[in-house]
Amino acid sequence: MNETTPDIEAKIAALEAALANVNTMNSEIFYWWCTALMLAIHAGFLAYEMGASRSKNALASGIKNLLAFAFIVPSFYFIGWWIYLAFPAGLTISEASSAGLPWSANMGPNLTDQASGIFYAAFTLFAATTASIMSGSVIERIRMSGFTILAVFLGSVVWILGASWGWHPSGWLTTKWGLHDVGAAGCVHTVAGFFTLGVLINLGPRMGRYNADGSLNEIPGHNMPMSLIGLMLIVMGFFGFLGGCIIYTADGWLTIYNTPVTLSAFAFNTLMGVAGGMIGAYLMTRDPFWMMSGALVGVISSAPALDVYYPGLAFLISFLGGIIAPKVNDYLVMKLKIDDAVGAVAVHGVTGVYGLIMAGIFASGYANIEGPEINLMGQIMSAAVFVVLGFVPGYGLSYVLKMFGLLRVGSGVELAGLDRAEIPAKAYPEAAVPAFELSPVSPAE
Amino acid sequence: MNTAPIDGWEGAEVYYTFADKPAVIGLLIVVGVAVCAFTIYRMAWHETHAAKRHG
Repeated sequence: MNETTPDIEAKIAALEAALANVNTMNSEIFYWWCTALMLAIHAGFLAYEMGASRSKNALASGIKNLLAFAFIVPSFYFIGWWIYLAFPAGLTISEASSAGLPWSANMGPNLTDQASGIFYAAFTLFAATTASIMSGSVIERIRMSGFTILAVFLGSVVWILGASWGWHPSGWLTTKWGLHDVGAAGCVHTVAGFFTLGVLINLGPRMGRYNADGSLNEIPGHNMPMSLIGLMLIVMGFFGFLGGCIIYTADGWLTIYNTPVTLSAFAFNTLMGVAGGMIGAYLMTRDPFWMMSGALVGVISSAPALDVYYPGLAFLISFLGGIIAPKVNDYLVMKLKIDDAVGAVAVHGVTGVYGLIMAGIFASGYANIEGPEINLMGQIMSAAVFVVLGFVPGYGLSYVLKMFGLLRVGSGVELAGLDRAEIPAKAYPEAAVPAFELSPVSPAE
Repeated sequence: MNTAPIDGWEGAEVYYTFADKPAVIGLLIVVGVAVCAFTIYRMAWHETHAAKRHG
């Protein structure tokens, strides 16, 4: 039977519609699994922070982490997604932002919109990750209520404003200064790290951390193996995070800045970054906790230009990051007396700045779609913006919480253990050794 | 109670519950925010009382 031209045209139209549908569904599926994989970051932070706490504080550290996730999901829905769409130009509100308002037709089940929900989901997990970065540093003395308020502010307001500025196809940091940061080292890690620094200054160190003469007491966590497994889970979750950093289109993969990329490029450089950071941190410390923190340092060091680095270069950039981060942490903890329990300021904040600068040196000259080409000065200025954007709100809000007595637990609670005071459950009900025997400070002091 | 904003699936676009009732959506948002704020308030209250018990 001969087909007529209209028959053939109808078939072509049907095939095109089916292909478009397949592309849409593939995109949904891809971000669905990226979101699921990013939950491993939270399982990882949970294990990592509980392990880094003394046993008397283990559950409080864990619950704090989980509460951050739980509160960020609705707060990001109510306001965070709108902020991202609203402020790419700076502080003026974009018309496109109405799609992010919680009553918009795009913010719920809608048969004509198969993108908003999965992008909201991926970004919500980025937001929760950002807040989790703060949670380890402040363990063993922060009030859960104060922490939750800080986490919501960091995760649903501060970082997402930075993302609107610098991790958005029309963000002004790119269109004006040429910022290139495909793996979100700036808006997530730099912002979170320096927000955390602001909080730590107001929070103060754990009791017994520093002696009157300024010398330092180690306060080891009760379960290093749990922390190591947690850090490895975070590395696994990073594949979801970085996958979520790529845009799936019918014409191929794009970065958040609409420049061409491949998932293969990310695969090469993520793995080389993880390995380089682990090796550098191990060489510098031989400490298993820092070796695995080095894995994170490695990813963050190469994150801004994961799309363009030669893998051998990413390895060395990340190796150098692994060397630097522990030394920065030593300086913060020993010289500046900032009790960062897990080194997040160095691992995330300072490494984020380092990664942005490395991209300015080793990826300069690549074209952006909107704005100047990648350049060192643009990366440095953007890093400065992220530092200020993180530090000022972190310091400011924690100062206000401190004034209202909402930041830190009382000394009696800190000595007894946060679990006993705040949690109606026991982490280790059969433990025979009283927690205070392992503490540098006795209850009498 | 009919929460559906659509009469059938033919030509349906936005279809979440109460999508055609902005006042209800507004109320749900307000209640959602209030629930979160109240939980944080109770967290703070509990911590303050725990602190008093432990000196």
